[in-house]
Amino acid sequence: MSLRDILSPLTAWKNLLREPGTIKDPLNREAADRYRGFHKNDAALCIGCGTCEAICQNAAIDMVAVDGIETVSGNSGLRPRIDYGRCCWCALCVDVCMTSSLTMSNHYTWVESDPDAYRFIPGVDKKAWDSCEKGYTRAEGHRLTPTKRAHMGEMEPEQRIGGFAEIVNGYSVEEALAEADRCVSCGLCIATCPAHMSIPRYIEAVRDGDYTRGVSLLYETNPFSQVCGRVCTHKCEDACASAHEGEAIAIRWLKRHITDNATAADFQQAAGTAAPATGKRVAIIGAGPAGLTTAFDLAKMGHAVEIFEARPHAGGMFRYGIPEYRLPYDVMDRDIQVILDMGAQLHCNTRVGESITMEQLREQFDAVALCIGLHLGRGTRIPGSEHPAVTKAVDLLRDITEGKEVVVPEKLVVIGGGNVAMDIARSMGRLQTQRYGKLDVTVTALEDRAHFLADPDEIRECGEEGIAIYDARGPREIVLDDNGGLVGLKTFKVLSIFDKDGRFAPSYDESDARIHHADMVVEAIGQMSDVSLLGEALTEALEWNRGRIKADADGCTSEPWLWAAGDCVHGPDVIHAVADGHRVAASVDAYLKGA
Amino acid sequence: MGHAGLQLVMAMDAILKNLSARCALGELDKRRADLWFVTVDPAHVRPALAHLRDNEGFTHLVLLTAVDWMEEGRFQLTYLLHNRAAALDVGLRCFIDRETATMESIHDMWATAATYQRELKEMFGIDFPGSPGVDDEFILEGWAEIPPYRRDFDTLAYAEATYTNRPGRASEDPEEYMQRKLYPEGA
Repeated sequence: MSLRDILSPLTAWKNLLREPGTIKDPLNREAADRYRGFHKNDAALCIGCGTCEAICQNAAIDMVAVDGIETVSGNSGLRPRIDYGRCCWCALCVDVCMTSSLTMSNHYTWVESDPDAYRFIPGVDKKAWDSCEKGYTRAEGHRLTPTKRAHMGEMEPEQRIGGFAEIVNGYSVEEALAEADRCVSCGLCIATCPAHMSIPRYIEAVRDGDYTRGVSLLYETNPFSQVCGRVCTHKCEDACASAHEGEAIAIRWLKRHITDNATAADFQQAAGTAAPATGKRVAIIGAGPAGLTTAFDLAKMGHAVEIFEARPHAGGMFRYGIPEYRLPYDVMDRDIQVILDMGAQLHCNTRVGESITMEQLREQFDAVALCIGLHLGRGTRIPGSEHPAVTKAVDLLRDITEGKEVVVPEKLVVIGGGNVAMDIARSMGRLQTQRYGKLDVTVTALEDRAHFLADPDEIRECGEEGIAIYDARGPREIVLDDNGGLVGLKTFKVLSIFDKDGRFAPSYDESDARIHHADMVVEAIGQMSDVSLLGEALTEALEWNRGRIKADADGCTSEPWLWAAGDCVHGPDVIHAVADGHRVAASVDAYLKGA
Repeated sequence: MGHAGLQLVMAMDAILKNLSARCALGELDKRRADLWFVTVDPAHVRPALAHLRDNEGFTHLVLLTAVDWMEEGRFQLTYLLHNRAAALDVGLRCFIDRETATMESIHDMWATAATYQRELKEMFGIDFPGSPGVDDEFILEGWAEIPPYRRDFDTLAYAEATYTNRPGRASEDPEEYMQRKLYPEGA
């Protein structure tokens, strides 16, 4: 035995009067600032995307409905409920949370006799640590999913303004993979899409590089996927969970990527085959997205379908209303051909009301669907607007598509702030560049920049191409010289657009007037349907809803043999027209089976 | 860069030069002036570690850990060493085949390495023949699955198959729930 062993017990006496190092009350000992304690959730910030549930490796999270939280576009109304019997406090749920609503307090002690108490909805079931400021949050700048979109190549402005070649390149395989990897597959987008396309699953097909499966998924809900991959209004992207703390997933471009990479055989396989003939005949008026979708579905069901189209080519408003630099004709023709291959018969240059009447269609067919689009432009009716140098955007866009010789002014003013205004401004800018080697186009919009109706991309591209946009300008008069020649458009500054009841009643500051000099003024303030084909008797017989044909949720009009779908019912939107087409086809089919 | 920083850089550069004279060095990743990682061939790990310990003052093995690069079919081993006197850190990296997953043991160089190697055997399935107790159970008693830190181990599937839920648990799928609530007629 060493001397140290003998003396060491005595040295313990030196600690006799020291403060003990033990913790008096371990249950009330505060944890470190970023300790991962019990969860908190800002229920108002949470969108119920369920990404926390999906990432949980212990299946500790359930998504549950909560009283008082509504389901709306972009917010499921569900909220996460955590079972602490399974949670391992790994904090992956916090790291992946798309809105940063889910966090952890540093509160880690909790004693209850009821084991079910340890299963609760953070932020909804009130807890003592809800106001605790300390705890684990995702570190600044650290995200499991990138917030920026993958790069999309596009033609330089000075190059694209010289012609009508498509601007956007589309994603390469590497870019598409990077973009698809950002999607958390929450599915909030699906309900917002009018056609309820299975977006997360086709994005998954991009991740897997399986374009055959991808195009099959697209065709389940949309026979116009090539078109919609380019010009869809992409409301899905507004509902995207990624948009809360970064850029929304480029769903539209990923759809286009699938169609760009699928083979002709993939399209044929995805379209499927027609059922045996039913012996029933359906007439469809208008070969736009609504009419062709209706035709596709009904032909697939085995009905004999004939489409009557007034124009020389099928495509409707997306051929005659959307410029080729946004939607090339060969792309839309490929979509249309797959539809026609299903067996629908197309009669072009056949205007109903002239070549054949509605009464004849009613007699010769078992059902008729009216899908006539919005081919007439609305006018401002301001003084001087009947001048021959004042024209409508839809007429001019149609003439350009048909290759007609259009008057190209050296100075052009467009009235309107929507996509059609941007389309005609940019189309005419191209024609000016081709003819004069320079561009002089002005757009005057009623709305201020923050409330523009056009897509942000369209507005940005307009600016890049050298088009001047004057916002919050109300058109008041077409100014003419003494000889009746066009001088330009007079506008006042807009103070407000709607009155206190929300009705359209613009008010102006008349002291702020401006003349926009022009050789031509184009009105792009809205469209309407040409319903003259109906004839007097049918017009009288039908029920109407503020100038539009009244149709129920299935597209049935007040006449039992007549359905209506697309822009003429719901306004301009390709994907809405597709969804309408599906609904009308299902309704017509049910009617024919019952007849 | 201040004087102290410059001294650090010079010290690290000298260490790197000495090391490169003894074995071929791969990718170099300078995280900080006093912390860098360098890749070496698995066969050169022991001599490189011995040199750093005996000649450069890196006497402390901070950790030995692994990363599963499943898609590349290999594991990355990282040996982190610390020089207490100079306050420098060096990480040696090497890549080994994921299928065979065997590496020479260094338990005779640092006794603590045996514990790290035992952990890596259990969690990643990387063998270190001759390392004391390397085949003994570490924390996963009665484990019958593939090693859990291998990325092809499905943690969620394991959790769902192994543990029962408390009665009354139910979850809604946001996608289906939204369609049901917003479009009750299925439109």
